[in-house]
Amino acid sequence: MAEEVLAAQVREQVAALGTAEIVVGIPSYNNVRTIGHVVRAAHAGLLKYFADRRALIVNSDGGSKDHTREAAEQAQLDTQGLLLVSHPLQPVHRLTTPYHGVPGKGSAFRTIFQIAEMVGARACVVVDADLRSVAPEWFDLLLRPVLERDFDYVAPYYKRHKYDGTITNSIVYPLTRALYGRRVRQPIGGDFGLSSRLVQRLLSRDVWATDVARYGIDIWMTTTAIAENFRVCQAYLGAKIHDAKDPGSDLSAMLAQVVGSVFDLMETYSNVWRNVFGSLPAPLFGFPFEVGLEPVSIDLPRMRAAFAQGCRDLRPVYEQAIPAHILKELTDCASLPPERFVLREETWASVVYEFALAYHRRAITREHLLKSLTPLYLGWVASFARQTEPESAAQVEDRIERLCLVYEQLKPPLLSRWDAGKR
Amino acid sequence: MNEFWEQTILEPLRELGRQAVTSLSSLMGMLVLILLGLAIGWVAKVVVYRVLRALQFDRLCDRLGVGPEIERLGLARSSSYLAGQIVQGVIVLTALLAGLTAMRSEWTQNLVERFFLYLPHFLAAVVILVAGALVSRFLGRSTLIAAVNAGMPSARLLAGLVRFFVMTLAVVVALDELGIGRTTIIVTFAITFGGLVTAAAIAFGLGARELARDLLQAHFRPTTPPEDKDTMQHL
Repeated sequence: MAEEVLAAQVREQVAALGTAEIVVGIPSYNNVRTIGHVVRAAHAGLLKYFADRRALIVNSDGGSKDHTREAAEQAQLDTQGLLLVSHPLQPVHRLTTPYHGVPGKGSAFRTIFQIAEMVGARACVVVDADLRSVAPEWFDLLLRPVLERDFDYVAPYYKRHKYDGTITNSIVYPLTRALYGRRVRQPIGGDFGLSSRLVQRLLSRDVWATDVARYGIDIWMTTTAIAENFRVCQAYLGAKIHDAKDPGSDLSAMLAQVVGSVFDLMETYSNVWRNVFGSLPAPLFGFPFEVGLEPVSIDLPRMRAAFAQGCRDLRPVYEQAIPAHILKELTDCASLPPERFVLREETWASVVYEFALAYHRRAITREHLLKSLTPLYLGWVASFARQTEPESAAQVEDRIERLCLVYEQLKPPLLSRWDAGKR
Repeated sequence: MNEFWEQTILEPLRELGRQAVTSLSSLMGMLVLILLGLAIGWVAKVVVYRVLRALQFDRLCDRLGVGPEIERLGLARSSSYLAGQIVQGVIVLTALLAGLTAMRSEWTQNLVERFFLYLPHFLAAVVILVAGALVSRFLGRSTLIAAVNAGMPSARLLAGLVRFFVMTLAVVVALDELGIGRTTIIVTFAITFGGLVTAAAIAFGLGARELARDLLQAHFRPTTPPEDKDTMQHL
């Protein structure tokens, strides 16, 4: 029995609404600029594509101080301009509630999932509140595979700028693919469709006081769905454009939470991934189309400097985790001039695997280990950005594919050393 | 004449002989106890070392950060070996004390008594030093990683200072527990610490006036931050 996190007042509100076939969840924290647009897009999507189904939009807010909740409640949809083919038979209800527990996106999802379970929803979709590119079609693409094709998990597939989503491209996607054998291109995309079966399974797990309750929620859901044999697919959503990033967001904490969650899941599902070699594509729904992307500026000198400082100052920490020959390669790379700064794909994949092994055998305090990855990650991003500067999006995608294959090739040695638990 | 001979010469000689035999037997007892202690201590060291190695005690110590510290200080070749040496030391010390007790002299009894009165303070001081070493190592590494991730050029210096202050504090508390130069140490520590803080404040005020002004201004009169040169989304 899952622990109850809904306040009595919210439970009464939900009970008064009765049942709903679809729940749209929007976790938020200080998103006053964009949440109105996201709520309107969700509302329009539900009216346009699911007019005959009872639906509920839930905004689960983490105590915003900028009137996000009010903006979500007051967002009005002009149905005159929607050109609806069918007249809506069912109204779309809205609910705004604060969530309880560890501050973070995961706790917001937990509240949404509990409400979805209470109203008996067949399908649930969650979207980020800071999206500027969300459109009504997204909800059709994320919900229909669940409602009509019996899929349990619909992961997003976006067109993104080549420098966007670098944690995804360099660690989470290649590692998840190599470990569990499914090519889910955006495993931590933030916008997902889920079946009631999967929602129930997720709620039954006792993980809500861990990093899963923070940035780790996305990778936890994706990994759980793949590793526990739920039916997984992808939906092409076009461009993903966020609101300007929060200047207070700490890269090191974010990286530690995401990578820590991936490494924790490696422990949980070691019996699953040890038997997987190679990878298979996940079905893709939707019509892939080209989109214009916003330019991304990137501070390469700062990243290279962070990498060089890490190699120099954190050497005693890295010596606990990384074998000497890889550490030497990193140090040599740090001394290269900017125009020749290159970190090989094999080196980067080895670094990630060595960190996973060090995390597994608890070579040093896990928090220290994860946070010490930041300078190396910035070094990889700097190298990747320099190499891909003249390349097109398709060429960059090919490069990411090559990196994934390197991860897959290096998996057998990882497995043998994982069992031995030593360097 | 015979009585005089008996009382002045033979009786003292007999007494001397009795005392010599008693002392010799006590000395022999002490030597036997010490030799026994040395032998048992050596065997115990080997057994403890092998058992702990089999139980992967070294890995546990490495995780806790004790192992590398032992290596760095050159205390022993491994944590298991050090544990064996400690057990050996305790056994040999116990044997030595038992041997001294066997001497049955007032001086040795007094020494043993004083040793046992001092032992709890000594053990407390050892615990304080070990805890201080672990805490200083942990905080030093936390500081180092946070400072590197924040791009501070003097990350190692900062981490070194954190380790130094925590360790100094631990040493002062340990010496206080041992009762060594109690007042002198506390006064010295207070003067040194206060002096360093004052020196740092003056150095910061004089040498980094611009930085101090910017920091205070940023805190009390925040203005629009400079444009972030990096707009990429990592997730």
